[in-house]
Amino acid sequence: AQQAATLVADSVAITGESTLVAQGNVEVFYQGRRVQAQRIIYNQAADSLSIEGPIVLKDDSGTFILADQAELSADLTQGVLTSARLVLNQQLQLAATEISRIGGRYTRLGRTVASSCQVCAENPTPLWEIRASQVVHDDVQRQIYFSDAQLRIAGMPVFWLPRLRMPDPRLTRASGVLTPSLRTTSGLGTGLKLPYFITLGDSRDLTLTPYVTTKGGRTLELRYRQAFSSGGIEVSGAWSRDELLPDDLRGHVLATGAFELPRDFDLTFRIEGVSDPAYYLDYGLPERDRLDSRVEVSRTRRNEHIEGRLIYFHSIRDGESNATLPSLVGDLTFHRRFSAGPLGGEAGLRLQTHSQYRSSTLPFDTDIDADTDADGRDMARASVRVDWRRNWVLPAGIVGTLLGEATADVYQITQDDIYDGTTTRLHGAAAMEFRWPWVRAGRGGAQHVVEPVAQLIWSPSSTEDLPNEDSALVEFDEGNLFSLNRFPGSDATERGTRANLGISWTRFDPAGWSLGLTAGRVIRTRDTAQFGGASGLDGQRSDWLVAMQLGLNGGLMMTNRVLFDDDLEVTKAELRMDLQRDDYGLAASYVRLMADPLESRDTPVSELTLDGRYRVTDFWTAKASSRYDVKADRTARAGVGLEFRNECMSVDLSLSRRFTSSTSVQPTTDFGLSVDLLGFGSGTAPGPSRRCGR
Amino acid sequence: CGFTPAYAPGGPAAELQGAVRVDNPTDKNAFDLVERLEERIGRPDGPRYALGYTITTAPIGVGITTENAITRYNLTGSVDWGLTEIGSGRRVTGGKVQNFTSYSATGSTVAGLAAEEDAAFRLMRILADQIVTNLIASSSAWATP
Amino acid sequence: QGATVAFGGLQQDTSLPVEIQADQLAVNQADGSATFTGNVLVGQGEMRLSAGEVRVEYGPEGGSIERLHASGGVTLANKAEAAESVEAVYTIASGQVVMTGDVLLTQGQSALSGQKLVIDLKAGTGVMEGRVQTVFQPGGSVGGGAGSE
Repeated sequence: AQQAATLVADSVAITGESTLVAQGNVEVFYQGRRVQAQRIIYNQAADSLSIEGPIVLKDDSGTFILADQAELSADLTQGVLTSARLVLNQQLQLAATEISRIGGRYTRLGRTVASSCQVCAENPTPLWEIRASQVVHDDVQRQIYFSDAQLRIAGMPVFWLPRLRMPDPRLTRASGVLTPSLRTTSGLGTGLKLPYFITLGDSRDLTLTPYVTTKGGRTLELRYRQAFSSGGIEVSGAWSRDELLPDDLRGHVLATGAFELPRDFDLTFRIEGVSDPAYYLDYGLPERDRLDSRVEVSRTRRNEHIEGRLIYFHSIRDGESNATLPSLVGDLTFHRRFSAGPLGGEAGLRLQTHSQYRSSTLPFDTDIDADTDADGRDMARASVRVDWRRNWVLPAGIVGTLLGEATADVYQITQDDIYDGTTTRLHGAAAMEFRWPWVRAGRGGAQHVVEPVAQLIWSPSSTEDLPNEDSALVEFDEGNLFSLNRFPGSDATERGTRANLGISWTRFDPAGWSLGLTAGRVIRTRDTAQFGGASGLDGQRSDWLVAMQLGLNGGLMMTNRVLFDDDLEVTKAELRMDLQRDDYGLAASYVRLMADPLESRDTPVSELTLDGRYRVTDFWTAKASSRYDVKADRTARAGVGLEFRNECMSVDLSLSRRFTSSTSVQPTTDFGLSVDLLGFGSGTAPGPSRRCGR
Repeated sequence: CGFTPAYAPGGPAAELQGAVRVDNPTDKNAFDLVERLEERIGRPDGPRYALGYTITTAPIGVGITTENAITRYNLTGSVDWGLTEIGSGRRVTGGKVQNFTSYSATGSTVAGLAAEEDAAFRLMRILADQIVTNLIASSSAWATP
Repeated sequence: QGATVAFGGLQQDTSLPVEIQADQLAVNQADGSATFTGNVLVGQGEMRLSAGEVRVEYGPEGGSIERLHASGGVTLANKAEAAESVEAVYTIASGQVVMTGDVLLTQGQSALSGQKLVIDLKAGTGVMEGRVQTVFQPGGSVGGGAGSE
């Protein structure tokens, strides 16, 4: 049987010719559709409702129509409403002298004004509006078709189109033009990007973005995505011709994918390539100076991590030759952790193979590159590492720990006059660690934790007879203050007898802020000369490591780490600060490093970056960022931005200048403008809206 | 001066060793975080609490030379963690710890790769140690024997 | 049940004779009224009114009935319409029936419910008041739902 409609009203009069006259707070409900009005006349014979306003007609998809007067079919799917407004998703409003409902699917509007902007009595012109002679809204396809459409900004006609199709705000996925954007750079001139999105079935889509600029730049950007039941891939790329490199086809490609394999294994891959080093900078893409294409299979469980990968490196850095850099790297790692049975405590076993290949075949070093390794050296390594540690809570609350690790490596080196052949190395370290954490509940509930830590380590101090390639870049921070081997890779192992001493003090305030301080030092029985000066670990006594972290619950987090020697000469200093509040935010970072040939850094680095935003008014937010090279006393990069966001429009203005230059990269200025009319498609969420009469 | 050894008998953290089971890791970062947490507070035996965590990390390029080469990265990381009582599921304590480590990208590709992975390994150990410090500091409130 | 019947079915010639059947009858000489109780059935033309109790007021000179007071659950029915309520007062001369208390008027597949229904039998019209709820059958509209049964 057909579902019955319900009419509720303060009073209902039954007049002669089979009509009902409902008066006062009248509501009609039928199959999810609802109409509210002051007066409704239901003519049963004609099966029609004539309704007097103010009328609110709502259907189950969130669309509703406000009108003064209407003639509708009894099931509310058919009929005409006069001086009405169609409101989509409480955002986009289409006002028309007359709206007619057709078959419960289409809504046709006569002369229409469409806008999602707040309109107040004191200034009735909305920020933007689209006027059209006719508009048809298709509730099933969720598309809005404008005829003879004219876009007006603040009342000024800006754009006219005979036909225009825009997505209904609830539409999440459909083919069509996306928001265009303007980009001006000194290298390419002013250009327009017009992205077009194409859906290819349910699980694939393609976005094509032509980008034409005044200085003869012609680019086609492409992004293809495909989802599978077990994963997905995304391929983005571009082809360009421009006057920066007039006689060759430039471009880049980046393909990534991730898949779930059986037995909980995951497969991920990444392929990236670029035609020339400057392409990323010229076209505003994320900067990379070493391309890293890899395929990786891995699985991680509670006590086990298995990983296999193949990586292809391609450097686009000035002065680096890919022939003498290890370009192909293959690794296999199996790491298992387990309880050590009768021994107690926790043990670990790691098996690893590593191989790297250089395309050059010269077994000696030439000055093509800056390093001293044989140009063509290839290497393969197999390693086993066993580690064990056990904690005891000693009297007076001292946590005593016995720990140790033993490694066995077999290296097979070829195309290297000095190190050719197979070398095996056995190494190990045993240590005792004592931690003595103290706690204090201070006045007002503040919690203090003070934890002195001492570690005594014995390991053979024989010298290394392997070339050190993967352990050249050594860092010294709280993460490896108490580790048995601070070298990041396997080529070098920390040797000799030494003590790692440190103390940390942390204060937690009930008001939510916290302050942490850590200080530490490494003291060796003798200088094993294994570390470069810039690492802070050189000498018999390492530099002092002092780290501080301040966190305020108002949104401030500052972390600072310094290495300095006995006469307070700073070897390395790094700071990151992030202050985020509703109306403003500031992110700052500072890095200062010594020059060190071992780390292939021939000039010291001292750089300060600042990134700020300030909300000037409810709608305007100003942004500024700069990267200042303190050492060269020059700004490497500076940028300002202005963002406007209200309930119906978002405008993004950005101006940035990059001053760095090299043989392949020129300084460039980049200006960007993008305007987005909110309320169409499920784009960016609307911002704050102005209150009328304020 | 009010300080007492946390692990002394009757001390607030006396029951901490072996009392916490950290959630299973699903990637390398989580694997390293769980390893360090278990190094500090022991592998779970008859645990009374479960430690859940969400790790986020992001590399940021710094030290950009005048020739526009990126010579160093700061790897920033944060862990949102929560300790709940096994059985009742009652949330006992929790918070967010943040820090960063750095790695240079100047040497050979293999050196850069090892440095990048070691930076992630050290970051997880620092964040794990910060979580343990939080546990020790708050243990008097929840680690009743 | 054929085509939907218009509401006009309420129209009624109020000059027709009124017959009343009931289990008991009690006459009150003082004010000239009579009270029928027990399955009271009042008939006038095609209209039927049944109630638990009907008190009849006669005109001043006796003879013709002036007003009927029905209570104890009243049902008024003629042709296709039926109306129920707790009480009803039918004034013969004006042809006005006032039904009060949980009034339910059913007509074909439509039904109106409210607190008070005033029917004008001469004009065949009625007004329902008191947060009226109407259930009706939209049907026969183009492309809407199925036609009426």
